[in-house]
Amino acid sequence: MLELRLVQGSLLKKVMEAIKDLVNDANFDCSATGFSLQAMDSSHVALVALLLRSEGFEHYRCDRNISMGMNLNNMSKMLKCAGNDDIITLKADDGSDTVTFMFESPTQDKISDFEMKLMDIDSEHLGIPEAEYHAIVRMPSAEFARICKDLSSIGDTVVISVTKEGVKFSTRGDIGTANIVCRQNTTVDKPEEATIIEMNEPVSLTFALRYMNSFTKATPLSSMVTISLSSELPVVVEYKIAEMGYIRFYLAPKIEEDEDETKP
Amino acid sequence: MAGIETLGILEEIQSLVSDKLQVPTLSVAILHGELVSYKWLSRNYLVSSNAAKRLLQEFVEKHGSGLEVVYTLSGWLKSGPPNYHIRLVSGPKLAEAEQEFDGSCSVQVYSVQTSIPKDPAALWNAEYVQAEELFKQHTTVDNCLRDNSLGSYFKLGGYHSYEPLGRQQSFFRFCGISNSFVKRSVEGTPVSISNQLPKTAGSPGHLSSVYQNTKVPQSQQTKVQQPSQKDVKSEYNGTGIHGHNAKPPADKEKVLPVPLGKKSVQNGKNPSGAEGSLANFWGRASAKSKDCVPAGNNNIIPNATGWYPFRFIACFSAEADICAREAVEVCSSDDDGRDVNFKRASSGEGGRKRRVVFYFSDEDEEENKDAVNLASPKSKSSLDQKQSTKIPALEKSNMNFDEEIEDKPKVKEGIADSKESNQPLREESSVTGKSTKTVSSSDEKVQSCIPEIDVNKKDTPTVAAPSSPKRRKVLKTRIDVRGREVTEVIWEGKETEVKKADSSTTTKTENSALANTVNRPPAAKKSPATGNTAPSNPTGKAGSKKAGNLKDPKQGNILSFFKRV
Repeated sequence: MLELRLVQGSLLKKVMEAIKDLVNDANFDCSATGFSLQAMDSSHVALVALLLRSEGFEHYRCDRNISMGMNLNNMSKMLKCAGNDDIITLKADDGSDTVTFMFESPTQDKISDFEMKLMDIDSEHLGIPEAEYHAIVRMPSAEFARICKDLSSIGDTVVISVTKEGVKFSTRGDIGTANIVCRQNTTVDKPEEATIIEMNEPVSLTFALRYMNSFTKATPLSSMVTISLSSELPVVVEYKIAEMGYIRFYLAPKIEEDEDETKP
Repeated sequence: MAGIETLGILEEIQSLVSDKLQVPTLSVAILHGELVSYKWLSRNYLVSSNAAKRLLQEFVEKHGSGLEVVYTLSGWLKSGPPNYHIRLVSGPKLAEAEQEFDGSCSVQVYSVQTSIPKDPAALWNAEYVQAEELFKQHTTVDNCLRDNSLGSYFKLGGYHSYEPLGRQQSFFRFCGISNSFVKRSVEGTPVSISNQLPKTAGSPGHLSSVYQNTKVPQSQQTKVQQPSQKDVKSEYNGTGIHGHNAKPPADKEKVLPVPLGKKSVQNGKNPSGAEGSLANFWGRASAKSKDCVPAGNNNIIPNATGWYPFRFIACFSAEADICAREAVEVCSSDDDGRDVNFKRASSGEGGRKRRVVFYFSDEDEEENKDAVNLASPKSKSSLDQKQSTKIPALEKSNMNFDEEIEDKPKVKEGIADSKESNQPLREESSVTGKSTKTVSSSDEKVQSCIPEIDVNKKDTPTVAAPSSPKRRKVLKTRIDVRGREVTEVIWEGKETEVKKADSSTTTKTENSALANTVNRPPAAKKSPATGNTAPSNPTGKAGSKKAGNLKDPKQGNILSFFKRV
């Protein structure tokens, strides 16, 4: 028996919007500690990890660990039927092959039930080791989204370089090149406008902007984004979900080769 | 509209048309010169298309005797589902054709000529060549295609493609692209049209001669050369009135230099052979073979079939779009060290064939040029009518072109898009940059995607195999006993470790687009030989952008960082 009641239903909607473009089908794993998901995109270049801790739910009951395979597009369709202010309750019986989403309007005068079929998905759960990152950049998520969007109109890849100067996003395309440098800025009035750079050593990595752009779909979840870079690890783009957990995107860097320099 | 100036034009038309009458068989070039269409007229004299039509009408009324007139009929068909129909009809058949239309239909003069060409393509060939020349003019020159008075273009689009709205839209889009293409070509070196023109099959000769006769204002800048008569003549085998009409394909192959670096729009989507495509309209004449080399040396391989009733179908397939995009790409990457020659051959037999030839002229690769051919079966009507091309020996890149010719064993590295070839080789994906589709085989590890490069195998057609780092898939094309092209895919074991590193020489088509994402401006220079600003690079940015990174050889894999639990 599984029953999760989330007062802030819009949060689940935003989560779905953030990951449904990257992943088609995924297993949602429910345990006593929380509701989580880990999935790779179909090309195995990016990985998304979601955690919604049980504390964040108004009511959380999970009798035994359960893994529910869902088509995220279908789930997103169902969740779109929920109002932004609705309270969403997820329910599943043990051994059942369906999950039920119940939407309650804030005034309790409308209650909708949506039952969705589950699917069997072969999940490849990856162990993600804790790692020390060479550089960690915290910046406003909207700013990051803007940068990715802008750069993707010029090139396909972004080089993220963190130096003591700041963090530089650069790209090149047929029409030219672009460089955006964000300096550390902690003196703003609002903490959510700060750009904080922690750097142990300089790092420069190349990523596909296509993925970065789909990561930024999670921007509504958090005002800040944390980008953790290490030269031999995938970048981590993390959006904290207030009081509940996080959504993290891992993206394998592009392999840099020497002839990059020789290319025209 | 009948002003003084108009009268002058009328006279010129008369001389244009009837001069040819008097010396009907002097040369092919002249034979080709006999056609005056409203579109050509409108561009040539900078009058509006409607005025041009009326001029022609007037001309026909005054001097119509002894001339053949082709009319444009447009209206709703009686039979079948209501269909807005535009039809080109010759004078004698006009009444008959009118019967087929429901109620009233508009009748306008499309063109005036000394005789009805056997090949309907000849009807708009001149216009195409004209458009081509306008495009090629130096960018500082304002012509009717550049100053945004694309009247003649739009006229056509708007005029002949009522019913399919979507097509119209795509048509306009195409026009837009064409414009940008024109602009971008500015960046490149000034185009030398001069050696082009004579080589285009037949028709250009006509055009240029016409130009000279009439002192077309627009053409002055481009210095159109006198048509090289020998080319034309060699093409002319006397079987038809029109030089390129009834020619055996073999002849054509000789004569028609297929422009390297030009892509031809293949309107493989046309419903039937009898239908022309808008691409043809827009571009050059080819009724059946349906390829349209946008800029320049076109191969005209029409099947000489009756052209009436000829139905225009505005067919702007995505390919036209693609083609335009490619054009842009080519232009943009002119400075790159490689030549990418891209050609789509039209061919039928159910499948379509395109080929792309990349010539990478990087020093390190020296003579090892990697050519990628995307090929597919030849056109229905003419298996033999491959677009073969002859390349001016002058240009280096052109010399490679021979190798591109399918018939020849020299084809270096080819990928044929035949049925049996594996999916990644699909032309659409690699060429158009939609490669995301094809790349969907997500299971392939990135490592295996690393393109193999065959640097040294110059003389064998090879295709790097996506799936195996150690072996490569070699695609061999030969001509079998019956004269058909046979493409075989052969696995060739070969050590490619070393070459992996050198991804810049990647020739795998499936990766080509992707590789380009990395090697940003993928040296896709059009061969200078073509001398036109035409599009050729399939793998430019547009392609790579869409391609995404799914199979990017340089894209790391998350699985190489995290272990499965």
